[in-house]
Amino acid sequence: MKEYRVCIIGGGIIGTSIAFHLAKLGERRVAVFERSYISSGATGRCGGGIRQQWSARMNVRLAMRSVKLFERFEKDAGFDIEYRQGGYLLMAFTEEEAERFERNVKMQREEGLDVEILSPKMVKERYPFINTENLILATFCQTDGHANPHLANFGYAFAARRLGVDIYTHAEVKDIIVQNGSVMGIESSIGSFKCDVVVNAAGAWSKEVGKMAGIDIPTTSYRHQIFVTESLRDFFPFMAISFDGNFYIRQTKHGQMIMGQGDPNEKPGVNRNVTYEFLKSMSEKMTKIFPFLENVRILRQWAGCYNMSPDAQPIVGCSKKVNGFCYAAGFSGHGFMLAPAVGEALAELIIKGSTEHVDISFLDIDRFEKGEVEIEGNVV
Amino acid sequence: MDRRIKSHPILEFEGEETVTFYFEGTPLRAKPSDTIASALIANGIDIFGWTEKGRARGFFCAIGKCSSCLVVVNGTPNIRACITKVKEGMKVERQIGRGMPLWEEKQ
Amino acid sequence: MKTKLLIVGGGPAGLSGAIAAAESGVDVLVVDEGLELGGQLVKQTHKFFGHQGFFASKRGVEIAKILKNRIEELGVKYMLQTTLVGFYEDTAVAYSREEDKTYEIDYDYVLLATGASEKFLVFKNNMLPGVYGAGAVQTLMNQYGVLPGEDFLIIGAGNIGLIVAYQIAQAGGNVRAIVEISDKVGGYEVHANKIRRMGIPILLRHTIIKAIGKDRVKGAVIAKVDENFKVIEGTEREIVADTICLAVGLQPSIELASQLGVEMVYIPELGGHVPKRDENMRTSKRNIFVAGDLSGIEEATSAMAEGYIAGYTIAQDITGKDLSEKINKYKEELADLRRGPFGKKVRSGLEKMGIVLPSGGYRTDLQKDFGPAGKLRAVMECHQNIPCNPCEAVCPTNAINMGGNINGIPHINYDKCVGCMMCVMKCPGLAIFMVQEFDEYSVVGIPYEFEPLPNVGDKVILMDRNGEDVGEGVIQRVIKNRKDKTHVVYVAMEKGLERTVRHFRVPSDEEDEIVCRCEEVTKRDVEKAIDMGFTDFEELRRYLRIGMGPCGGRTCRLITMGILARKTGKSMEEISNMNLRPPSIPISFGSILRGEKE
Ligand SMILES: Cc1cc2nc3c(=O)[nH]c(=O)nc-3n(C[C@H](O)[C@H](O)[C@H](O)COP(=O)(O)OP(=O)(O)OC[C@H]3O[C@@H](n4cnc5c(N)ncnc54)[C@H](O)[C@@H]3O)c2cc1C
Ligand SMILES: Cc1cc2nc3c(=O)[nH]c(=O)nc-3n(C[C@H](O)[C@H](O)[C@H](O)COP(=O)(O)OP(=O)(O)OC[C@H]3O[C@@H](n4cnc5c(N)ncnc54)[C@H](O)[C@@H]3O)c2cc1C
Repeated sequence: MKEYRVCIIGGGIIGTSIAFHLAKLGERRVAVFERSYISSGATGRCGGGIRQQWSARMNVRLAMRSVKLFERFEKDAGFDIEYRQGGYLLMAFTEEEAERFERNVKMQREEGLDVEILSPKMVKERYPFINTENLILATFCQTDGHANPHLANFGYAFAARRLGVDIYTHAEVKDIIVQNGSVMGIESSIGSFKCDVVVNAAGAWSKEVGKMAGIDIPTTSYRHQIFVTESLRDFFPFMAISFDGNFYIRQTKHGQMIMGQGDPNEKPGVNRNVTYEFLKSMSEKMTKIFPFLENVRILRQWAGCYNMSPDAQPIVGCSKKVNGFCYAAGFSGHGFMLAPAVGEALAELIIKGSTEHVDISFLDIDRFEKGEVEIEGNVV
Repeated sequence: MDRRIKSHPILEFEGEETVTFYFEGTPLRAKPSDTIASALIANGIDIFGWTEKGRARGFFCAIGKCSSCLVVVNGTPNIRACITKVKEGMKVERQIGRGMPLWEEKQ
Repeated sequence: MKTKLLIVGGGPAGLSGAIAAAESGVDVLVVDEGLELGGQLVKQTHKFFGHQGFFASKRGVEIAKILKNRIEELGVKYMLQTTLVGFYEDTAVAYSREEDKTYEIDYDYVLLATGASEKFLVFKNNMLPGVYGAGAVQTLMNQYGVLPGEDFLIIGAGNIGLIVAYQIAQAGGNVRAIVEISDKVGGYEVHANKIRRMGIPILLRHTIIKAIGKDRVKGAVIAKVDENFKVIEGTEREIVADTICLAVGLQPSIELASQLGVEMVYIPELGGHVPKRDENMRTSKRNIFVAGDLSGIEEATSAMAEGYIAGYTIAQDITGKDLSEKINKYKEELADLRRGPFGKKVRSGLEKMGIVLPSGGYRTDLQKDFGPAGKLRAVMECHQNIPCNPCEAVCPTNAINMGGNINGIPHINYDKCVGCMMCVMKCPGLAIFMVQEFDEYSVVGIPYEFEPLPNVGDKVILMDRNGEDVGEGVIQRVIKNRKDKTHVVYVAMEKGLERTVRHFRVPSDEEDEIVCRCEEVTKRDVEKAIDMGFTDFEELRRYLRIGMGPCGGRTCRLITMGILARKTGKSMEEISNMNLRPPSIPISFGSILRGEKE
């Protein structure tokens, strides 16, 4: 039977980032098991936004570390991922939201982040194509931005493979073998493998994979829909988002506008169908704030799943109940941007027993038992 | 150049060239039943624009599927010439690369 | 908008389905994105094969009109210039181009009859203006009356390539050659013969290597290929042409079927990916039916039969009436249409779906006898088993018979033939000629569909079956056929030539092979990506952006899969996982805002 030190379940951005960072730390006895193809999960369906302006301090730190790693991505992984630090514009349309933003900015600045507060007039001057009617204020951070999630996912996977990691696609993990409280190996559709450590990076399926090891991962998955338009000339360098307005929008390197929203009435479960209702409500909302969209055509619409945790913060760590069982799940709407820092931290934890760059002990699963939760508010 | 079929053994083509539209500023004639593409080709024009990478682009599928024939119409880019009817006074321009959207001041 | 039965596609399949369902009392709505009802038919100026029940010997444009009149009589509602853009979880959405707005449609049953789209071909400079799809050339010349060039090169000698070449000639264009990579003509021999006798070369075992020109096509380089379709070096030559017309096959338009989540299968004999369906055209979903080219690339006749079967079956479901008699009648017709050698591909394709059809049971021997010299008589040059019988049906003296089955080779009884030339005017393949030998000279009557008609007394150059000049002749008689438009022109010639003459003429740098047009992805890009380690179609798509442009992958999907299959040694079935996403054509925000729910 083939043996590995670490078997990673899930070939999304999280699983491949962990694999890459393990290999970079010198551990090459690593395998990634992906049930379908690379980027088939949420990663290949996401918006690609990278933002450090969060309301929870932990997320700000993780995101700031990730930005450092995204800046080095091409050098580290040898792959151009269309990374662009065009900034992120957070738009508040209610007084309460504006107050929250001002509080957040204070905390973000304490963490060393350079954030501006913009009046509607300033926004209009910078971006004449935005209708700033009803806007109360906006915050802007120039080092935020976006990247192409497919390319980042492939980048980590190819770099890990080059460093000796085995990446199995069309290989589904069916069970995790646990004996006397320790992980012994896995069973998969392509055979059984021995290993000391299993990492649950199964995205929307993290709860099911947790059950294989007898650990309850308190996550629920919800569909999120998204679409792109035809290509336009490059004129929209930043990503815009609003939580009370419930939308996000950016322009890809190829000129297409990509945008989406959350649906508070969405039922839990893995559903990747698309609805017309979504297109209608987006059309109405987005043409008001971005009037240039009226004559722009929509090309393609799809859906992916947010894997939500109770506090909208990720669940990352290694189990104290089952030796060798680690997890990186519950990334809600921000797993793409956190992937570099999370992959690095979890790899450090597995190899060295402690983290070096960002302390992630707060993200461990036991926070829910201890009742130490801080709900992240800056999500769509 | 006029590429209209003058006589045909099976078919009859109706309509006169009563419509005037502008291509890159030049007035051209078209039939009311023409699309922009059929009118341009009838007038001997088959380069409709250039791609982002500088390749000449023309029409290809004629049924609005392949997006090879995008032109700028009255300032709006990405208009499919093959399925858009010509209208009197329409201003058609070659599209070079991607188009720039229009916006109106709504404030 | 509400309807019991929503039909997407108003080609022969969709319209026949509409007729069957509406006749049986079902409320029907047909949505079609074209300018007129009829699908492919509105572009076809040639006469169709088959039998009278399916309007054999009528031209495509006429069949379209007949079907349209019938659905109007039956009160079927239809929307033109309207694309069904998406079957969503919550509703179906159609987009009207004229109104620039969307409609939501509520339905109980769906009949998908979306037909097929043309395949693209990879060669150097294939994106230059002047390289057009065969369907596009047909649309321009037969719907808008515009001929996009003067000198044409046609790629592909299947029925479409042959017919388009003929139609270009009819519209006054010059066809330089038809290039065909395989060692035989894929289309019907009678279509090929119409081309050959005009002197248009059909170059078998040849391929196009590149288009010449900087900003538009000025010519092409073609070359010979060996048994493995590899170019034989040193055989390259240039052809001057301003238009290169691609007729390299069709692929079923499966976007909507895929959105509806019906089970798909990959069956090359049916044109690639097709929805799985039963003998009644029902897919894996109870209320979703398919018919026509979408369910397998075939012909208008079979598309109509399938449409009827689907329409009656749906009506039977909805009304509870027993319509099995009608359904069975069309099933028998279909089985008959597919009995012959040209039905073989479809038969073996359908067998893979578990539908087994009979074959054989028709006459295969040719008539040897050229008839009694001196008598004005018809001679038939129809040598393939095609399901077609207008000659037998029209003959007033019953001189012509197919031997009991529509797929049979026609024979003529010269005792009964009175030389009325009705069969010459009817034959969709233009494969029947009149001959008569006199003491000093002979006369041949040739079916003729070109402008201008010659005048009696005109000197013409005689051509044989291969378009070679074989002498001079004089026009003796011109029989005008105002109704069917296949005229018969009698030419007098030297004795002995009546066996060979079948036509006449009046004397008178950067070289990229593009795979994906929208995103300008080249074949080399695809091959490089596969070499890097991308082995999944979806991965390739996401990496190279193939299919992410406005066309949604229509031109590049199959080509990319083909390259992937070739390079990885995987079968098409294995690499066929794909997600086709709505909307199926781009629609603007504004059109959604102006959308109507009712
Ligand atoms: C519409 C949308 C927009 C988003 N926008 C953003 C954004 O702008 N910025 C941002 O940072 N984040 C965004 N996100 C969130 C982000 O996409 C996710 O948080 C992130 O991709 C999660 O990565 P992952 O690797 O955990 O999951 P995934 O990419 O889903 O990968 C998990 C993989 O595990 C595999 N798997 C599951 N079970 C098994 C098994 N038993 N055996 C083998 N393999 C298995 C799955 O097939 C899947 O490929 C968005 C998400 C959506 C849906
Ligand atoms: C050059 C040529 C010559 C031919 N010659 C013959 C012949 O001699 N004899 C013969 O029997 N057959 C012939 N055929 C084949 C015949 O035309 C086709 O098999 C037949 O038209 C198939 O019918 P259909 O209804 O399935 O599809 P189509 O005729 O292709 O009709 C499909 C319709 O669906 C519409 N549509 C597609 N998608 C959508 C959407 N999303 N929303 C709304 N509308 C949509 C299209 O606009 C189209 O009108 C020929 C075909 C060609 C191209």
